Amino acid sequence: MTEQELIASGKLELYVCGSLPENEVQEVEDAIAQYPNLKKEIEIIESSLIQLAEGVAPPLSAMVWTYILNSIKNVRNITKETSDTTNWKAISGWAAAILLLCGLFYFLNENNALQEELEITTTETNNVKEQLEDVTEQKIKTETILADIRSEAFTPISLPGNQNVAPEAKAKIFYNKDQQVAYIDTKELPTPPRGKVYQVWSLIMEPLTPTSMGLLDEASLVDTGLYKLENFPEAEGFGITLEPEGGSETPTLSQLYVLGTVNTAP
Amino acid sequence: MEQPDYLIDLLKERNERAFSKLYMMYSEAIFGIIYSIVLDEDIAEEVLQDVFIKIWDNASSYDNTKGRFFTWILNIARNSAIDKTRSKSFKNSKKNLSTTNFVDILSSSDNLNKKTNAIGLKKFVDKLKPVCISIIDLLFFKGFTQKDAAEKLEMPLGTLKTRNRNCLSDLRLIVLGPQ
Repeated sequence: MTEQELIASGKLELYVCGSLPENEVQEVEDAIAQYPNLKKEIEIIESSLIQLAEGVAPPLSAMVWTYILNSIKNVRNITKETSDTTNWKAISGWAAAILLLCGLFYFLNENNALQEELEITTTETNNVKEQLEDVTEQKIKTETILADIRSEAFTPISLPGNQNVAPEAKAKIFYNKDQQVAYIDTKELPTPPRGKVYQVWSLIMEPLTPTSMGLLDEASLVDTGLYKLENFPEAEGFGITLEPEGGSETPTLSQLYVLGTVNTAP
Repeated sequence: MEQPDYLIDLLKERNERAFSKLYMMYSEAIFGIIYSIVLDEDIAEEVLQDVFIKIWDNASSYDNTKGRFFTWILNIARNSAIDKTRSKSFKNSKKNLSTTNFVDILSSSDNLNKKTNAIGLKKFVDKLKPVCISIIDLLFFKGFTQKDAAEKLEMPLGTLKTRNRNCLSDLRLIVLGPQ
């Protein structure tokens, strides 16, 4: 299509109106590139249409432009804020929240650990206190025993080992005749075998009468290897036999470990 | 009018001064197009605002190898105005717009304060044949494609094109004076 043919076809008017299909728009564009005069023709068409449209327009308030300007400025400000500042605020906000959360968990754990440690320490302290009380109590007991044994009221009696049963065995008794109290030191008695227990007997010599004073067991233990027995008949001698657990009514003489008499001398 | 490509390039770089100049150049014509569709000054102003905000936002999508800048904004304006007439609130307040066209508006207008040659335009439209009014109304003001307009007016495509050209030939005389 030549320049004049194109002008006469009415395509340029439709091109400006926006009524041409895409391929014909391209055709016009190509023609403009080829014939620069076409551009002038198009500009005249466009100008006339613009004038026609302007004639139809009512008076236009200046407020419209003010509104448009404000809108694009607001949009720009908002996009700026959201792309830069707000993002940083949001990021730092989240970071702070996460840090705080981590911190909370850390302190919670730490607090739990401390609580546990505190409990352990408290228990340990209580144990130590109890131990101290035990030791103190034991010390007082030991001191009392020591005072007893040292006093005039207690007579020390040696019980040598029975040559037939336990020649190496030895025992010592501190005997208070007035109060019928005796401490038995078993340091040199062999440890009784399982299922057996030492039983102490008070003896009257004429005729020989043994009476059980009690067992050397947990109940009578007052210090390491030291037992205390009370409330037994007056004794002229003492014997210790090995008996089955729980003790016996009468002493098993075949298991008489040690034997000694109270010194009746002044 | 030569197309201000340098202003359009600046607009694409979001230059407010260039945008302001382009608004001065095109806003009144676009306002006329919008008004001819919505036929309410307040609504037309609203749509005009939307149209120029769209132009600002989408300037980068205009390609000057694929048509005139005026054609590009003309399309935005007609589409926005037609969308407005389809909105529920618009339908409730307005009825039966189709009978009013640009000639009715121009004939009843007493606005002589504009830069346009209003008296000349009135003379022009007074002389326009009914078929010309329909053709210009459909193609320019309503944005019909050539195919749709030809179907609506029941004339061959070639006839539509040449008639449109002839209908507009008097208009250019008013605008430019005899050449």
